[in-house]
Amino acid sequence: MEQQDFSAKDSLQLIESMISKAQNRFNENGHLYLLWGWVVLVCSITSFVSVYFFQSFKNLMYIWMLTIPTVIYQMIYLARKKKSETVRTYTDEITNFVWVVFVVMGFLVGIIIGRSGHPELFNPLILMLYGMPTFLSGVILKFVPLRIGAISCWVLALVSVFIPYQFSFLLLGLAVITTWIVPGYLLRLRFKTQF
Amino acid sequence: MFKDLDPILHSQLRLAVMSLLIGVKEAEFTFIKEKTGSTAGNLSVQISKLKEAGYVDVVKQFKDNYPQTICKITPQGVTAFEAYVKALQTYLPK
Repeated sequence: MEQQDFSAKDSLQLIESMISKAQNRFNENGHLYLLWGWVVLVCSITSFVSVYFFQSFKNLMYIWMLTIPTVIYQMIYLARKKKSETVRTYTDEITNFVWVVFVVMGFLVGIIIGRSGHPELFNPLILMLYGMPTFLSGVILKFVPLRIGAISCWVLALVSVFIPYQFSFLLLGLAVITTWIVPGYLLRLRFKTQF
Repeated sequence: MFKDLDPILHSQLRLAVMSLLIGVKEAEFTFIKEKTGSTAGNLSVQISKLKEAGYVDVVKQFKDNYPQTICKITPQGVTAFEAYVKALQTYLPK
């Protein structure tokens, strides 16, 4: 790009093209959506089997411990990703904060439910919470499947209070398929096809 | 009435850099080089001019033993960019 005299119209075209080059960069490859989608799906189905067929609630804690190595992996993955990034957009930053808010709220809900003596409310509340970051990510990334996934989460949250507690684990599994797994594969496809 | 265009911004490469930076939080030199299609030498000179004018902040650091240059638009840069776009509008046919 050489320096030269250029008209007002050229200037505006240049501004427009550069802004679009910076903005249209799609930085979400769906990797973490898929990772968490499959981990939570495995945990929720195993929880259902444990509770429904073996009436064992004690195992739940061990089953969900699978999320601990997932968190460790996620931290390493994000640190590496941050290192390789050449640009940081406001979109990336806001999306990250939306998920941080979800983790904090999920953690608080866990403690509050634990203290309340109503563990059966945990799944409906988590389902309701799931919808929030998913819907906002869908808006920020301009990605409709995430918004649809979020709405399905809210519907499942409502359904879960009308069915026996054990089955809410299956709804949790269904929710991660619609909110993370399906959009995750679609995000991956969109990321790959942008190049 | 035609308004004077800021000479710092009325240069193709400098304007391209500012237009890229206005939409992002911060960007590496390599990203700007790739998007503008400029040479490293020319880009380096133009970024220095933007820095001298106070329109961008430049942070030089090391990443994995390699030098890394991160650029970020300053509030003064945002104001200048907005004023430039406003001035440009006076040149366009109504």
